[in-house]
Amino acid sequence: MTEYGFTNSPSIDAEALAGETYPYLHDITLVDGVDLNAATPGEDINWLEDIELLSEDGVPAVFDRYTNAFLKIHFEIPPGREDEIARKVLITHLRSGNCYGLSLKRRHSKFRQPELGPWAHGSPTVGDDWTPPTMDDWGTA
Amino acid sequence: MSGLGAGATAAHYDQRGLVEPDVQPPLVAEIDGESARFDGAQLSTRQINAELRRLVYAEGVTDVTVDNPGAKHSLGVGILTRCRIHFAGSLGYFGCGLIDGPEVQIDGRVGWSVAENMMSGVVVVGKNTGSLAGAALRGGDLVIKGDVGARTGIDQKGGTILVGGSAGMMTGFMMQRGRQIICGDVGHSLGDSMYDGVIYVGGRIASLGVDCVEAELDAHDGELLDRKFRIYGLDRPGTFRKFVCGKKLYNYDSLEPSERKLIL
Repeated sequence: MTEYGFTNSPSIDAEALAGETYPYLHDITLVDGVDLNAATPGEDINWLEDIELLSEDGVPAVFDRYTNAFLKIHFEIPPGREDEIARKVLITHLRSGNCYGLSLKRRHSKFRQPELGPWAHGSPTVGDDWTPPTMDDWGTA
Repeated sequence: MSGLGAGATAAHYDQRGLVEPDVQPPLVAEIDGESARFDGAQLSTRQINAELRRLVYAEGVTDVTVDNPGAKHSLGVGILTRCRIHFAGSLGYFGCGLIDGPEVQIDGRVGWSVAENMMSGVVVVGKNTGSLAGAALRGGDLVIKGDVGARTGIDQKGGTILVGGSAGMMTGFMMQRGRQIICGDVGHSLGDSMYDGVIYVGGRIASLGVDCVEAELDAHDGELLDRKFRIYGLDRPGTFRKFVCGKKLYNYDSLEPSERKLIL
């Protein structure tokens, strides 16, 4: 176990990678109110059609493609609502600003875009002030 | 360059005439609340894309119409927010690639690789598209009301491709996830080397590809087909056949667990 209390397994666990956990992974009431149709483009759930409840290290989990990591769901999922709850957890995570993949935009975006992507209204834009990295002594030899 | 509005500047290309290194938004759109419209006839590809980004990211516009896109290549790429974009005309190749969130309507035709790598959103094409439509699609709906060329949804990893007409050879080649609904006929080698996903075909099939097999339709398939045809107002063929991976090419057990995860 690490100093954070997480496992040292080679899994791709979003909490272990970030070094912290999030309340919406432990409390279903924090995700149950998410309107999946409103959260996605078009008249149905669009890209969330491909999101299903999976399992990581024997724990129910949803895959976050923006971080390439699993979000483990620690609360009990009502039978028959597995995929729905997985989608609501993922949307809550993406809107929260905790998604590590999205947080990289602040530093690495090369053109203007919403930091939190298309799921959060009023997200700040990033990428206006990107400059190419330079190497010290490049071309001076 | 003539025909540009206040603040607009002509496109400046590099010495090869290929790249505009320092493009600025031409500021030509007429903005009316959350809607905007501009004419792309006299603008370069990067100027059109820069104007689109200015409108949806900085001006609070959520509904943009681009007149006279002129079949230019790579228009509407990399838009990463919820908005509606209407191209009143045809696009060239790689139209609306790499998007995440927009709902795009294209009145005309599109060249190769429309909506390639779309993460989420909706792209509706009024007429035909070239080959590689929806290449590496990750999510969202790509709807083509006409016919499509070869290798539709090559390397598709999610999302739904709905084709109102017929599709060419190697449709669904190396498909890994997602759904394809082809109302008309399909060419040779349907679903060749597909690993997962589902292909529904309403017309005739010239031949199946390696490891593509027919499967039974179930209630979930019927719900999906009814829903997509209702949303996009297309005529639904009377019957569909369903094709999936036969899993004869599966060798995942020999892969490292981390490699297995990369294909999700």
